[in-house]
Parts: sequence; structure tokens; C-alpha cells
Amino acid sequence: MLADYKEDIYHCLKCGACRTAFQAYTPICPSGFQYGFDSYYAIGRVDLARAVLEDRLAIDAEVMRRIYSCTSCGGCDEQCNPAVGISPLRIIEAFKHQAIEKGLIPPEVRDFLKGLQVHGNPYLEPSDERGRWAEGTPLESYSDQDYLFYVGCVGSYDERGQGLARTVGELLQSGGLSFGILGNREICDGNEANRVGERGLFEFLATHNIELFRELGIRKVVALSPHGFHAMKNDYAKWDAGFEVAHYTQILQAQVRKGSLRPRNRLEVKATFHDPCFLGRHNAEFEAPRFLLKSIPGLELIEMDRNRRNSFCCGGGGGNFFTDMIGSGVRSPSRVRVREAVDTGAEVLAVACPNCRNMLEDAVKAEGLEDRLQVRDVAHLLAQAVGVRDRGHP
Amino acid sequence: MENQTALLKKLKDLVGEAHISTHKADLLPYMRDSYTNLMNREAALPDCVLMPRSTEEIQQIVLLANEYKVPVYPRSFGVNIAGSAIPYQGGIVLDLKAMNQIFEVNEDTLTATIEPGVCWGQLRKAARKKAMDIIPIIGPYQTSPVGNYLLTNITAYSSRYSMDRAVTLEVVLPNGEILRTGSQATEIGAEVNPYFRYSYGPDLTGLFRGSMGNYGIITKMVIRLRPLAEVEKNLYFAFKELKPALKAIQRIERLEISRTVMLQNKHFTVHCLLSPEDLKDPAAKEEALRSLPDFVLAVGIGGKARQAALYEEMLGEEIRSSGGETLSLPDAFKQSLDEVQEGAGQKILRMFAPFSGYAAVIGCVPITSAENVYRRVQEIVAKFDLKDSITDDPLQHELLVVPYDRCSSVYVEQELLYDPLDIDNMEKVKACLRECYKVIVTEYGAVHTIPNRRLLERVVPGYAAILRGIKTMVDPNGILLPGGPYSI
Ligand SMILES: Cc1cc2nc3c(=O)[nH]c(=O)nc-3n(C[C@H](O)[C@H](O)[C@H](O)COP(=O)(O)OP(=O)(O)OC[C@H]3O[C@@H](n4cnc5c(N)ncnc54)[C@H](O)[C@@H]3O)c2cc1C
Ligand code: SF4
Ligand code: SF4
Repeated sequence: MLADYKEDIYHCLKCGACRTAFQAYTPICPSGFQYGFDSYYAIGRVDLARAVLEDRLAIDAEVMRRIYSCTSCGGCDEQCNPAVGISPLRIIEAFKHQAIEKGLIPPEVRDFLKGLQVHGNPYLEPSDERGRWAEGTPLESYSDQDYLFYVGCVGSYDERGQGLARTVGELLQSGGLSFGILGNREICDGNEANRVGERGLFEFLATHNIELFRELGIRKVVALSPHGFHAMKNDYAKWDAGFEVAHYTQILQAQVRKGSLRPRNRLEVKATFHDPCFLGRHNAEFEAPRFLLKSIPGLELIEMDRNRRNSFCCGGGGGNFFTDMIGSGVRSPSRVRVREAVDTGAEVLAVACPNCRNMLEDAVKAEGLEDRLQVRDVAHLLAQAVGVRDRGHP
Repeated sequence: MENQTALLKKLKDLVGEAHISTHKADLLPYMRDSYTNLMNREAALPDCVLMPRSTEEIQQIVLLANEYKVPVYPRSFGVNIAGSAIPYQGGIVLDLKAMNQIFEVNEDTLTATIEPGVCWGQLRKAARKKAMDIIPIIGPYQTSPVGNYLLTNITAYSSRYSMDRAVTLEVVLPNGEILRTGSQATEIGAEVNPYFRYSYGPDLTGLFRGSMGNYGIITKMVIRLRPLAEVEKNLYFAFKELKPALKAIQRIERLEISRTVMLQNKHFTVHCLLSPEDLKDPAAKEEALRSLPDFVLAVGIGGKARQAALYEEMLGEEIRSSGGETLSLPDAFKQSLDEVQEGAGQKILRMFAPFSGYAAVIGCVPITSAENVYRRVQEIVAKFDLKDSITDDPLQHELLVVPYDRCSSVYVEQELLYDPLDIDNMEKVKACLRECYKVIVTEYGAVHTIPNRRLLERVVPGYAAILRGIKTMVDPNGILLPGGPYSI
């Protein structure tokens, strides 16, 4: 609840560093960039939190639109924490939690949560179809292999996500990793529920996953999505999860390093890399995907101005991939990001997250840039270079 | 009410629905800053916040504000930390962040032409692409040169470049007219020669420096840049006492070779070096303080390699003969100090850490008074028994000294830090602040660079009459920034 963050709230300097990335000197907050008013930046949201604490503002769905358009990207924390010492994102997430507790949330968030509660996934699909993505692949069910390959809701139900899950599975297998999948037994990792402040539902999902993994003797997990990776690595810790988790780029990096995966085929292409917030900024993994891209013969990696810690979110975090509270239009973060990618001269915008891929691919279409820029996951590019059958990319 | 509805409709038609808001949640964040938090100053809820995109839009907004007699409060990034962009009487908040174009970066004239929503960092990046740099404030990167010009202009570059980086301006006056200053004043000047400030008699660009926005809304500014030298270097010197450090500044200034000069006591320096988390840890802070001399004098030099080598040698001689010595710092510490010294950095935000509560005692005095001003503030802080918020030991306040115009005056800033959640202490800090100002103003003639209302009461009548007369002329309905501590 907000009262738990009173110290941070009152220690905000109102300095506005949370609006602009230091050294890249470009906007860092996707919702602020989209809407402009301070209420859509951390500086204003912290002020709104203070107003709620001081009874100067009552929470309602309209107020919460300002809060839910936050994508939990952590760009504000990145600027604020080393300089002023507070974490505006923690305050914003507590704000969301308080609104959930009081039932004062916008309909988009309510519907998303309802879907998750009733169906166990935000796609409203039956849980006994969760494992269909793996049909026709040689991937095995988890029994007692070294790793569990956890694909999450997007990998299970979203068409493009399914393709990515299959490709990553093939690559991991080619590299000799001993792993299995859960198929229909898999359940949601709960990260998005947590990010929108539904901590009860998150706890339910997290503890169920922990129990299931414990029952099955799972000690190591490789996650498809940085979102699930983040939740399992950081937020599950409070229930003493008892398993290790890696993102698939980290495992693939190890496989390429030791030579069990050999990218031999040349890809004469200029690519730039978009750091997913939940892999990069939140978990400080900037190099594994870059290592993979650089290992591909012929591929030239160009950096965008906003990269690594200063990466600009695609707009899909904080539940926005499903709720779209951040909205569309020319200033929407995904469209801004693809324009930024094109400006580098890159022909490929590489990603390492199924959510980022969909957001950015849709933005390429909206911008009419299909002839100039392709959005491709690092895994698809690597599969091509390694010569592994790419079961994902159309 | 009817009037308000009509005005809001016209404003919406003018700027478009996406650039106006009347929702309380969008208005509240503009009503406070760290100064109003300390002073408990309340603002009225504004009628709306607007994000205009052009000079023409601003002109129309101002005309409507006159028609409906509604106050207008412009702000670039609103980080003046002085309560000067707060809508004390409600009305219209003009958020200028969206006007963030850099129209030109000109190597030939060493200038850039910018809008008010351009921040120091953005300008630095554009300038560096053309082997130039900004002449920045010591303060942070995410605020604006335009807001800064209207505010104070405190910079470690003062000796070489003086306080004034603005060349010419485009301004929407509060009566709705458009003014262009300096050589921009004519059509042809605006088009091909906006690069000369001192044209057509008195310096109208200068009228806006320190005006806090009272005289008009700046929509465009031609600003000076500086050439980047082959070698740019920051040197750090240690002093045990303040007097010889001040003496050293005088001697260095007479050499006319320094690019930046800044003197700090170790309580300021330690804030630039440590993270807010470490500043909360008494042992970490104590250890860092022990590694520092009582006073650090930072001097920036630049030039061709041969020049820089010679300058370094000459500076070293002056320092040694003033009783100081070269300070060698661990790399990480040096990087942090470099960032602060070069200005527009991020680490400077730590000067108020770890609790962001500060009360600033600021005054410009002759260098010969600087030590007394520091000692007197020390005495007053002790008298008020102010305590360090972490250790509860007696408060050691921060000191920063920057020479202006080859030391004709020095800017002395002293910060009293506190935790805003400790209300009783905050009241003590406020009382202490008042006494500090009383003493430095009445005993040492310390002057501020901005038109604080109380200070204006002390000046000869003609001075205030000119400032107010101009205000009445350009703002007959008093619509621009009324009701604040800096309203003229
Ligand atoms: C840690 C820290 C250190 C700082 N150090 C320094 C320093 O070394 N030197 C220094 O000079 N300042 C310093 N500042 C103060 C301030 O941040 C800077 O002066 C900054 O450049 C102000 O820019 P802004 O865009 O935030 O101004 P704003 O707060 O937006 O504006 C300043 C004033 O001008 C008015 N205004 C703004 N834009 C316009 C416009 N276009 N037309 C008319 N009126 C307008 C506002 O109403 C306000 O009264 C520091 C601040 C912090 C937090
Ligand atoms: S949230 Fe942090 S960066 Fe943003 S205004 Fe507050 S203190 Fe500054
Ligand atoms: S987490 Fe991202 S979207 Fe949310 S306030 Fe911070 S920078 Fe903005």
C-alpha cells in the first residue's frame, strides 16, 4: 500500500530526472512521452501518490489511467535511484495495488484480470490447449531432465509467441540441453498480474508454480519470456522458490561459447537490438543477446542511441501488452522505437522477448515500414545461422 | 463559471484535445515543488494545463488569458527548486516541454537556436556532434537553458563566459505582442542575423535574465556555445583552510587561463561522490570524509595540448604558493567530480541526498567577504542546534563558491539539509534560514540574482519602479505569474 512507501514519496526531489535518460539525453518514460503531462511521468505519479496519502485526491478509474499507462519499464528508477535514491516504480506499483484492493480500476485492467482468473491465461483459451504449441515438435515432456523450458502464456497461446517457443526449443535441443516442457500442466507465471497490482492472484500463481516445480523435482528453469524470467528470478524469492532460472539467450550464449551450437551460415544484414526492459534494465542482462547477434557471420550490429540501461520500452510492460492503457498513435512507444531503429540504418530490429516482438512488429506495420525494417527475435536469426529448422518464423 | 467554460472551449479548439487537460490528476503535479514543500505554500488548483506547440499558439493563449483575466504560469521543466513556476492563483499552467526543437547549431557563430523544452543534455549532445559544447549550469542535465536564463545562471564557467549565455530571444509578451531582442529585432535580422545581442540601444535580452518569466514567455533563444578544445582537463587541489583557497582563486583568475572554477567544502564534495544509499550509511560517509581535504578547489582548463600542459604547470605554481596541493582521487571519485564540474550532470542531484530536503542560503559578495559569510552561517546553524538527519550530530552544511567575472564577485551557496518527514526539524531549518539571510544581507550586502519580493523592498525606489514599470507596460492585466515570491 502507498503508506508503506511514504518515505520515498516524501523524499522525491521533484527534479524530473525520471523524464530523460542521462547521457542518451532522450526521453526515457514511454507513457510520459505519449501523453506529455507530468501525471504520466514518475515525477507526477509520485505527486499523485502523495496527494492520495494526504487525502487531497481520491483514487478512481480515471486517476488510475495515469498510473496504469506506466509500463513498469524501470526507466525512471534507472535515473532516480543513483542520483536521488528513491524508486518511483515501487511507488507506482504500490499505487496499482491500492487501487486493486479498493476495486477502483479501469475496465481494461478489470477485464484482463477477470480473464486471467477465470481461464488461467489472458487469451481466454482453455487450459487443456496450453500445450498445443509443441505439437509436431520433438520436444519432450518434463520428467527428470536438467531443465524445464517454461514458455508462459504468450509462448503458449499467441501465434507468433508459439513460433518463437518452437524455435527456441529446437535451438536448445540442437545445442544439447537436457530439458522438458510442461505442456498442459504449465500455468501462468503471474508477472503481469503482479505488475498491475493484483498481488493476491500473483501469490496464488507463484506458489502453485513453486509447488508444481517442487513436486516434479525441477531445479533449473529456462524461460522464454523476460517477463516470466523476471518474476521467477526476483519475485518468487519471497516464497523460497528453490530453483534457478535463466533466460533462453543466456543458455544459448553458453551453448555457442562451448561450441555445441555453431552459427555458420552468413546473414548479410545490419541489425539493431532492442533491450527488453525485463531482461536488460530489471535484470542487467545486456550482453547475452548481443553476444548471440555478434556470433552470426555477416551480421553487423548497430546500436540505437537508447540502449542497455537507457533502452526505451516498447510499451508492452506493466500489463499494457494486454490492457493497452498506454494507447496507440504516432507517439506510442513502439512506433517511436521502430522509427528510432530505422534511423540507425538497420534492416532488422532484433528482440529477445515475445511481447516486444509483437508490439514492434505491429508498429512497423502501423508506420508503413515493412519494406525497410523486419522485427526478428534473436532466436530466429540464430536458428537461420545455425541451420536449425526454424519452426517459428513465417 | 460560464466564462470559464467558454475559455476552456476556446483553449481546447486552439491547442487540440490531446494538449489540454482539466483533470485534477493532471493539474496536481504542477502545484508543488521542493521549495513550496519547505515553505508550506499552497497554490490554487489551476483551471487547466496546456502543452502548446508553437509561438503562435502561445500568443493566442495569452490573448485569451487577457480577455478572460486569467493568470498564466509558464514552465519549461519546472525544476527551479525555488517555487517560481507554481500556479499560486490557479488559471492556466503552460507546460512547454513539447516545444523541444533545436533549430540550428552553428559552428561559425558558436551558437544554437532552441525552444524552451530543450534540456541541457539534449543541447550538449547536439553541440558535441559539431565539436562544441554547452556552457552549462553546475546543475542537472534534465532542465532547460531557457528556464535557467530566466532564473539564475549559476555556472562554474562564470569566470570565462560570465553569467550570460543568451544572445537573442523571441518572446511572447504578456500583452500578446511578440518581441524579438538584439539583432533579431528586425525582420531581416531575425532571418539571417539573430547572433548579436547588443543592438539597438539598451540590452533587452538582459532584461529577461533573472526575470523569472515575469516579462514574457520565451519561445526561442539563441544561446552561446563554446568550442571543445583539443585537451579538456579538470584539476583538483586540496586546501586545509578556506582563506588560502579563496586567495588561490583570486590568483588563478588573474592568470585568465581557467575554464571553470569551483570551490567546495568536503561536505559538498562527499555528496557528489557517494550514492544516496551510502550517504545514509554513517560509516561509509565518515570514511569518505576522512579521505577528503576540508576544501576542494576544482579548476578546468582547455586548449591545445601544449597550452594545456603549460596552464597546468602555471596553476600548480599558484596553488602551491597559496598553500594548497594537488589532490589525487580514485578514478571513480574523479569521474564524479568531473561530471559535476563540467555541469549538466546527474551526480549533482546528490547534493540534496539522501532525503531531498534542503534550504539554500545564497548570496553574491566580494571574495573578501566569502569566508565571513561561511563562518556566520556556521555559527547560526550551531545556534539553532540543527542536526544531521542520519547521525543526529551537529549539522555540517555544504559550501560552494564560484567566482564571477574574474572574481569581481563570488557566488556563495550554502545548503542546510534536512529530512522533510521530520516536521519539527523542518521548522527549525526555516527559522535558521531566515536568520542566515538576514545576516548575510544586512551585514555583508549579499545579493541574490533573482527578484525576490522582499529583497526588492530594500532597493532604491527608482530600481523597483523601473522593474515594476516595465511589468505594468508589458502586462497591463497582470496575467503572467502573479502571486508568487518572485512576482514583480
Ligand atoms: C540539484 C540541482 C542543482 C541546480 N544547480 C543549479 C546551478 O548550478 N545553477 C543554476 O542556475 N540553477 C541550478 N539549479 C536550478 C534549475 O534546475 C536550473 O536553473 C534549470 O536550468 C531551470 O530550468 P527549468 O526548465 O527547470 O526552469 P523552470 O523551473 O521551468 O523555470 C524557471 C522560471 O522561469 C519561468 N519560465 C520557464 N520557462 C519559461 C519560458 N519559456 N518563458 C517564460 N517563463 C518561463 C518559470 O515560471 C520559472 O519561474 C539546480 C537545480 C537542482 C535540482
Ligand atoms: S521520482 Fe526521482 S527522478 Fe523523478 S522527480 Fe522524484 S526524485 Fe526526481
Ligand atoms: S516505469 Fe517506465 S513507464 Fe513507468 S513511470 Fe517509470 S519510466 Fe515511466
